[in-house]
Amino acid sequence: MRYAYFPGCSLGASASDYDLSLRAVCRALDVELVEVRDWVCCGASSAHATSHLLSIAMPVLSLSHAEQDGFDRLVAPCLACLSRFKAANKEMQEDPEVREKIHRAFDYHYRATVRVYHPLEVMVEEGMVDRIRSRARRKLSGLRVACYYGCVLTRPPKVAQFDICENPQSMDSIIRALGGEPLEWSYKTECCGVSMTLTRTDIVLKLSNDILREAKEMGAHAIAVCCPLCQANLDTRQLQIEEKYRVHYGIPILYFTQLMGLAFGAFPKELGLEKLITSPRDALEVCGLM
Amino acid sequence: MRVELSEDRDRLAKRLQRITGENAMLCYQCKKCTLGCPSAYAMKLKPHELMRALQLGLEDQVLWSGTMWICLSCETCNTRCPQDINILKLIDGLRAYYLRRDYYNPVKELPMMHRLFLKLARRFGRIYELGLVLILNLKMVNPFKDIDMAMPMFLRGRLRLFPHRSEGARELRQVISRLRAMEEET
Repeated sequence: MRYAYFPGCSLGASASDYDLSLRAVCRALDVELVEVRDWVCCGASSAHATSHLLSIAMPVLSLSHAEQDGFDRLVAPCLACLSRFKAANKEMQEDPEVREKIHRAFDYHYRATVRVYHPLEVMVEEGMVDRIRSRARRKLSGLRVACYYGCVLTRPPKVAQFDICENPQSMDSIIRALGGEPLEWSYKTECCGVSMTLTRTDIVLKLSNDILREAKEMGAHAIAVCCPLCQANLDTRQLQIEEKYRVHYGIPILYFTQLMGLAFGAFPKELGLEKLITSPRDALEVCGLM
Repeated sequence: MRVELSEDRDRLAKRLQRITGENAMLCYQCKKCTLGCPSAYAMKLKPHELMRALQLGLEDQVLWSGTMWICLSCETCNTRCPQDINILKLIDGLRAYYLRRDYYNPVKELPMMHRLFLKLARRFGRIYELGLVLILNLKMVNPFKDIDMAMPMFLRGRLRLFPHRSEGARELRQVISRLRAMEEET
């Protein structure tokens, strides 16, 4: 299967390990990713806080490039991008007034034929979980993983149209296929607060602490994430959180694609594991992968 | 607190409905939004109180609370509202309307961040993460904020020193100027 690939701004810099590991597992599963030509930033929270039309126009620009180049499927690994893309598509399909205005602003008239997927959606398509299970040569046996889905993968359900809104299962099913043990916990879709990470860091530290504490109490060896922004908060700010709340977590925050890659037998370097701030060594020793 | 209701108290809610298509008057104060809201603890007006203030047209309280900027846009309230009110759309309507207006805002750094974010997007077509952090820290008069994170990230190759430019930036600037012209027409 062939997809247009929209890495998003984070994957080119602070989250290059997500990009590496996603490309590696897609190669292993014969999923072809072709980077969208001349893509631009999705606008994230800043566009929709500024102007409704701008929040549609920014995703439409990259979507229209994918459409012109003949793609009908696009993968966006960052949840901020993903939710803006899905919202833009929905409005372009359903709101004639918005469509008319956006068409006036562009030379090319986007027809909203490009369906937007998160990598998790790709990985749980028909038959994929079985392929992942058969590819997993080195099982994550005994590894207790808290799957953290983040805020807008499944929300709002009318726009996201994926998985069970309040208790998603897709990442759990992948971890199970890899031989790991996904935990039942109640913070799967709690917000980590990233839209204020640079401005009101106090709020972010509290919310991320709640997530880390809950995972620790449930006995997690690692937290698996599917968004570069969640990873940045839970991993790069983990030391600040430990200092502020006088606790010790030491929980590694891995992308689910890194866990897949490890189980498929890739080298840690190919998956960017050395880029994690909180070392995954102890966790991976549990299942004999390190 | 004594509240004086003005004659045209539904002006604010009406204006928001015109901009966003969402009707604040439908709220019956079940408080599900507030109970699920991750940043409600930091808001002077909780989400359900914001809804009530909109219904009563208490514009000053809405602005001075800073609630619209403390919202994280996580969409939990929208998902759970039994009246199917898209509260985030209402909040976005407030943000967009007041972004360019002058009023006392207790959390000025949020609109500042949004403006800077979009400026970088227009300039390079993509977000220059390091530039965003550095310029924002200077603007917030806190230049060494998060300095403890810089070294570990740099050593692990997670800081990109120079911006990434996209060939799409020119098209983006053209689209934005056309949108601006359209918005000025109306």
